[in-house]
Amino acid sequence: MSAPPTDRRPPGWPGALARSLYPLVLGFGFAFLMQMVVAVSLGDYYSKILNAIGIAIILGVSLGIVNGYAGQFSLGHAGFMAVGGYTAAAIVYYGSIKLFGTKAIYGGALGPGELLLCAGCLAGGLLAALTGWLVGLPSLRLRGDYLAIVTLGFGEIIRVLIKQSDDVILSQPQVEAADWWTLLDNLGGGFGFIGGPRYIDAKNPFWVWVFVVLACLVAYRLKYSNRGRQLLAVRENEIAAEAMGIRTTKAKVSAFMTSAFFAGIGGGLYAHELGNSLRPSDLGFQKSIDIVIIVVLGGMGSISGAVLAAIAVTLLPELFREFKDYRMIVYAMALIIVMVLRPQGLLGLKELWEVDWRGVGRDLVTAPGRFMRWLISAPGRVRAAWKAAADRRAEDRS
Amino acid sequence: MTAPSAPALAARGLSKAFGGLKAVSELSFELPAGGLHGLIGPNGAGKTTIFNLLTGVYRPDAGQVVVGGVDLTGRKPSDIARAGLVRTFQNIRLFGDLSVLDNVRIAAGVRARCGLWRSLLRTPLYWREEAELRDRARELLEVLGIGHRADEIAKSLPYGDQRRLEIARALATQPKVLLLDEPVAGMNTGEKKAMRGLISSLREQFGVSILLIEHDMGLVMDICEHITVIDHGVTIARGAPTAIQSDPAVIEAYLGVPDEPAPVAGELG
Repeated sequence: MSAPPTDRRPPGWPGALARSLYPLVLGFGFAFLMQMVVAVSLGDYYSKILNAIGIAIILGVSLGIVNGYAGQFSLGHAGFMAVGGYTAAAIVYYGSIKLFGTKAIYGGALGPGELLLCAGCLAGGLLAALTGWLVGLPSLRLRGDYLAIVTLGFGEIIRVLIKQSDDVILSQPQVEAADWWTLLDNLGGGFGFIGGPRYIDAKNPFWVWVFVVLACLVAYRLKYSNRGRQLLAVRENEIAAEAMGIRTTKAKVSAFMTSAFFAGIGGGLYAHELGNSLRPSDLGFQKSIDIVIIVVLGGMGSISGAVLAAIAVTLLPELFREFKDYRMIVYAMALIIVMVLRPQGLLGLKELWEVDWRGVGRDLVTAPGRFMRWLISAPGRVRAAWKAAADRRAEDRS
Repeated sequence: MTAPSAPALAARGLSKAFGGLKAVSELSFELPAGGLHGLIGPNGAGKTTIFNLLTGVYRPDAGQVVVGGVDLTGRKPSDIARAGLVRTFQNIRLFGDLSVLDNVRIAAGVRARCGLWRSLLRTPLYWREEAELRDRARELLEVLGIGHRADEIAKSLPYGDQRRLEIARALATQPKVLLLDEPVAGMNTGEKKAMRGLISSLREQFGVSILLIEHDMGLVMDICEHITVIDHGVTIARGAPTAIQSDPAVIEAYLGVPDEPAPVAGELG
């Protein structure tokens, strides 16, 4: 990993301000372009896929901060997504009725309805970050598998809690009469949060891309900063990191919170996209695994890798639609092949512009041979592992 | 402020037992500011355990660790490192997949003021500190003689350079006391000679006090002013190198007693 290109002399206030803001300006321009040009010209089917890609990017890039940078294996990302999604859904649905007197879409582009959506997503993100802090503080002292199990359990707890909630109140007068505290228990239970206004659809992807840009920007700036490098140090060698004065628990908890924040936003966007149902069963363990796959496939610690993987993982099942039920097998095969041939993920720790393409080319050229060798040697390796396990058992007995 | 006469590092009656095994008992020593002391002993004598006690990896059962007059007993390793007591590792622990420059820059960044928000907003402080950290890291790498390898991946360095990188990384945290755990282990004669010169020069250049664990007697006798000898966790001798060399207890610990009777067969196994 090399430093981003910087001038010899650090910039003063005006230069720093310009550099700080221009990616945001570009990003908003990009989101605007997606809304005005791309979504219109692509047609509904592809625009819908593009929205799914955008949300997958937010989730993948945010999980990359914990799983990739800090090397802490979290399996609870869908839990944070659910926290953010339900918070945003409750704020937008009940808020619309209380503030605007309607549960339909209110106001046009950047109108009050969309601003409420934006606020709901941010609130969802903040609550998810708070949850991240609560979960992270005790559990990030654990390592490896133990942390994975705790985060897995956390995701399930969130799912079950939401499942216990009451039905969404559909009648407007009842909502107007109820206070917020009661409404928080009316999240739709197992049926899902239904009836909310859907601000995001194939023709309106603006907010998805705004938050995609924000998530990528934060992840990028974190990676090339002191704090981000400290996370990488924790991942590389926790004992050495602590011995050099890095407060490893604090670093991990703040990574967990940043990651949860964007997962919450991703959940908020997901909740308000036309065609998605916000059901507890959709935000379980399987969803977390899907996001982990994005991170692992793209390369642990690579932002552009996660973006590429999010695109691939969303697009591949669509492309394989012709295979009908077999498509998930093809998809799984594709994943296995990539993991065998490039175990560090597509890009490893690097970004697109840092990659040594000769290495990738070499991997590609030698891929068929290596895959065949892997297949041929697989029974032998299984046997060896079996024998080693038997030896260990024998040793334990003696 | 601490008194100017306070030793850079002092251990007072440090003890640690693992189950029934007394790994370290009643260890006391003082390392004066600017001193270069050695800690030697046969294999398994408890030297690395002592380092782990001093740096907070283990919590001592009894005794105190005092750095520059401040009692740091029982504090976390990161706090102790921030207080100025930093170590290298016998079994090298670099940030393997990161670049050589990043390894040093991360350690230097421990004292940086730029927090998460400033990093995300990229304020002028961020740019200034990034430049400072990069320059300081490069400087340190030059001093340690591995400046030309700054952009390589740490784990791809040859063994001797990895040891140098460990020292560079420790120095980057601006320590008062440097603990070196077998800095020349596994090196050839040429590398050892270079490292010997380097260690002695570090003191003047960075104003650190150094405590050294080493098996290479030639090196220890040559550069240390004071040596503490440990065997089975107990201090068996201390003093100037010449005195240590002729100390009968030390010779016994390393070579055994010449006229020791052979063990009776029944006592074995």
